[in-house]
Amino acid sequence: MILLYFLILPLLAACLAPLLKPKAATYLTTLFFMLPFFAILYCIFSHRYAEIPLTTFSPPIGEIYLTADFISHAFGLTICIVSAMVALFALPYMEHRFEEMELSVEGEFRRYIFLYDLYAASMLWLVYSGNLILLYIFLEIALITAFLLIYFYGYGNRRWVGQLYLIWSLIAGVLTLAGFLIIGINNDTLALNYIATVGRYAWLFIFVGMLIELPVLGPHVWLPWAHAEAPTPVSALLSPLTVGLAGYVLLRIALIDYSFILSYRNYILAYALFSSIYAGFSVFKQTDFKRLLAYSTVSQMGYMLVALCLGPFGLIGLVIQYMSHAFGKSILFSSAGGIIAVHHGLRDLRQMGGLHDSIPGISNAAVVGFLNLGGILTVGMLGEFFILRGVVETFGVSTGSLPILLAVILMFILSVWYGFYTIRKVFYGKPKDRERKEISGYLYVPLFIIGIISVLLLLPPLSTALIPGLKSVIWLLGMGGVVP
Amino acid sequence: MNEWLVFLLLFLAPVISSVPIVLAYKSEKWTAKLPPLSVFGIFVSVVMSLYIFFNIEGRVPASPNEWVWVPDLGINFVFMCDYLSRYMGVITAVIAFFIAVYGLDYMKGDYRPSWYWFFFNLFTASMLLVVYSDNLFLLFLGWEGLGAASWGLIGQWFRDDDDITYVGREGRKAGPLLLHWPPSFGGWRAISTIRFGDVPMFLAIAAIWVFAGTLNISEIEWGSLFETIGAVGTIILFLCLLMGLFTKSAQVPFSEWLMTAMTGPTTVSALLHSATMVAAGAFVFIKLTWYIEPWTLHEVPGLEYVYLLVLFVGLLSGLYGALAGSGMLERKVLLAASTMSSIGLMFAAAAASFWVDVDIGGMNLAVLVAFWYMAVHAFAKASLFLVSGHLIHATHSRFSCGALEFGKKMIPAFIVTIIATTFLVGIPPLTAYWVKSAMDEVMEHLFHDLGFLPFILLVLTSVVYSGLMAKFLALNFIKGERPHHEQIEGGGLMKLGYGLMVSMLFLLLYLIFTSKETHEFVAAGAVVKYGTITLSFTVGILVFLAFIFALYKPQISALTKLGTFFSDRMYLPFVNDYIMPKVGFSLSHVVHEYGNRGIDGFFNTKVVPGLFGGISRGIRSIQTGYLSRYINIVLGLVMFILIIAVVGAWGL
Repeated sequence: MILLYFLILPLLAACLAPLLKPKAATYLTTLFFMLPFFAILYCIFSHRYAEIPLTTFSPPIGEIYLTADFISHAFGLTICIVSAMVALFALPYMEHRFEEMELSVEGEFRRYIFLYDLYAASMLWLVYSGNLILLYIFLEIALITAFLLIYFYGYGNRRWVGQLYLIWSLIAGVLTLAGFLIIGINNDTLALNYIATVGRYAWLFIFVGMLIELPVLGPHVWLPWAHAEAPTPVSALLSPLTVGLAGYVLLRIALIDYSFILSYRNYILAYALFSSIYAGFSVFKQTDFKRLLAYSTVSQMGYMLVALCLGPFGLIGLVIQYMSHAFGKSILFSSAGGIIAVHHGLRDLRQMGGLHDSIPGISNAAVVGFLNLGGILTVGMLGEFFILRGVVETFGVSTGSLPILLAVILMFILSVWYGFYTIRKVFYGKPKDRERKEISGYLYVPLFIIGIISVLLLLPPLSTALIPGLKSVIWLLGMGGVVP
Repeated sequence: MNEWLVFLLLFLAPVISSVPIVLAYKSEKWTAKLPPLSVFGIFVSVVMSLYIFFNIEGRVPASPNEWVWVPDLGINFVFMCDYLSRYMGVITAVIAFFIAVYGLDYMKGDYRPSWYWFFFNLFTASMLLVVYSDNLFLLFLGWEGLGAASWGLIGQWFRDDDDITYVGREGRKAGPLLLHWPPSFGGWRAISTIRFGDVPMFLAIAAIWVFAGTLNISEIEWGSLFETIGAVGTIILFLCLLMGLFTKSAQVPFSEWLMTAMTGPTTVSALLHSATMVAAGAFVFIKLTWYIEPWTLHEVPGLEYVYLLVLFVGLLSGLYGALAGSGMLERKVLLAASTMSSIGLMFAAAAASFWVDVDIGGMNLAVLVAFWYMAVHAFAKASLFLVSGHLIHATHSRFSCGALEFGKKMIPAFIVTIIATTFLVGIPPLTAYWVKSAMDEVMEHLFHDLGFLPFILLVLTSVVYSGLMAKFLALNFIKGERPHHEQIEGGGLMKLGYGLMVSMLFLLLYLIFTSKETHEFVAAGAVVKYGTITLSFTVGILVFLAFIFALYKPQISALTKLGTFFSDRMYLPFVNDYIMPKVGFSLSHVVHEYGNRGIDGFFNTKVVPGLFGGISRGIRSIQTGYLSRYINIVLGLVMFILIIAVVGAWGL
């Protein structure tokens, strides 16, 4: 119950922060996201999971409640820390952006911080929603606030990009809503706990909707636009947190009814692997740093879809993959933003090279970011391990399963390849500018905090508490025991 | 002392002691002062490894679930203090410590000290983790640490602005390929190659977890594991595992990264080549073989092919490395090639254990030989690298140079090189001779099953290797060109570093003669057995002759062409730098230029928006406001309906 009050804090921040000056508003935001972070940590350590009832509507909506199990905790933890740290990063960045756009800094910051807080808070609430309608509402709030942030403060032809993002996400949203409604009508409730079956059509609608949101190959084309042209702090939430929530929705539905995945497992898996590898190869050809990161997101989201197909261990892998990608990508987008802020809008990879000398802090943060994506010495390592275990458990080790094993291996290899390739291209090599730039600590210290959290999550006591918790939820919901 | 405290200090002391210098990265004053603290961290590891060596034996903790990590998923802190890890832990820590001391001098005034010391210490800690871990996940954590740290250290001089940090001769081209590599590229090459092997290895570990139900090496029932997954499964499992080991240990065809790894500081090369990184692959193979006991598993289908593969990859890498090295003129790259060769022999010897069921006090002869060779090689090779680092400082050239006159000025380095090379190649009766003799004996055991080929490959490798080492000695101190630049003052800590390092070879010699388990080595090295001169001694003589010959004639001008072919590493760089990137980039090109642009054009920029635009324009063009237009539309619709109705009626 106490968790509820902590979860209200971010919403409160959305109301209070606009009343304050930029610096105070930023600190308030950070504080109000860090408090729930610690509350969630406490819940994880004390092995607490609960349902917090809010109200009840007549069927087919049913009971509205918050579900605070370990899956929600894992996602919530990630959202809190990333939102808090990116808010700090955004302080100098957005001030700089407003000046660049010739807007009044203080006035504009009020509007911005309101949207930012509401955006982040709605994602946090989304993962704690125990009712699909509630979940849908927060999904849409997140979508619209993100749209507005791109529309107001984006780069390039930001209005067009904003609309593009809005349309794609609306299509995804409508399909998902249709799926939810079918579930509601069939089960007379939309409360997660009481849904007994998910019909094939409902699954199909939700699945396709979430594939667009995730996104995978095909619909993925909206993502590079949106993530590259959004103001960087928004990219640093959009890419790490928002798109992965599609994976969260799929996970929740899969935990209720895994049959859809089981019946089409091979097709989905093949598509996911192809999509991830495809996007991995796309990364090498990018010339814009933020677009490059956006393609890497597509590749990483492929991991999540792969994980979804791989039984209980895969599902644990999915959750950890979300966390590890969120940490890595928020660091990376922020470091891309750091380069933009320090080097006057520099985004073109062809003009980069040797930047380490001028911005060592940001450069080293980017290394940590890519280590996260590659699953080296960070929590991503556990994610990879669970996904690999899922593959072996599902398909075995034989000549028949060899193509799948090889594809999964290639998928994992690619992210380290493009990661360190990019690092070298951007930061190393003959420096153009030897002078170390004096940069604001906001631009890199928060990134290292995220990095440290991602390392800590790999090690005990955090992983010792979190992973059995995740396992217990997934096993509790009938996934364990039998290998599906 | 409390056991967990010992292990905590062992792994964490190096890492934590290098945190201050990282935090102080902005201050030149502090980064100059703090390196001794990092060295102290490694010293703590040395003390702990010695403590373990003398006081702890067997699995720690006794119950594998005592020090939990993720207990119900088999991931725990379990360490194994067996013969291998107790020795190897001390070797690793001691070598790292000597190199660190040397590094205090060598890295003075470097432009990135924080980076260097952090990764150097992380490197050491990671290797110690690999050495002591019994849990495969824990081992893999150290394994990944090695990969990341080596990337950082190889690319230490990321500015790529000084030719002395490069590998290859400037401007040298083979076909379309420039054989001249900067440090940042060396780092990228290392991590990309290593990752290529690491992921399959991780998969293999996951598969072991699934089928064996545990991740602790000493607990796994290997025989029944192999039977569960069958012959094909066993082969796939091992291929995946070996990908990790071979890439890390730079065996053919994954050896290229090791050559360009010489772009890193020499201290890094020394550590990388002796007791960490490349040794890690061979060490893990030895450790696994130790517990798999393949000589008892002859009835398991598929296992023989695996060991056959390792045997020949090892032997071929051995020969390839020695030959490639024989053409090299760059000091460090020559040593790198020779390391690859030595590591190959370790793999081969350990793999031979499948056919060599000779028990020495509960240990397998072949595995023991592989391990001892690793120990001898580690100290000798580290000494040579440290010497060449000093030479690079003194002559300001990475190419071999130095005549006798120069050698006399660098007496300590000269002496250390003589000792290290002669002790390493297997000249009787120096340290490596006894180990090498035992290795000859191991290969002799294979005559029955595999014929003479392994033995012949081993002898060839040994002879070429011996010439290679003599060449290094001759070209740097005796018969090389006069250096263009000489700076022989100072370097006290450097001399101390390699002095200490090389002295360990005498200790090993002493141990070989006094230890119980190595008496077989001494027996193998006997001159006469059953009234005839032994093969081992004959090989020893051959090696000696090769050494003398190469010392006398380190460069043969008639063979320049062959030497160039060898020093171009038989064109293996083409795989790394030409074929792979060409394939990869053409794939990315197709994917991006056609795939992404096509889909983007369809949905976002051209087709679909165009369609919407067209329809919208069409509808808007109707709305002109003239009544006649609307009447026409209505009349048209009425006619259309009439036609449909008539056709419909006709049909009825």
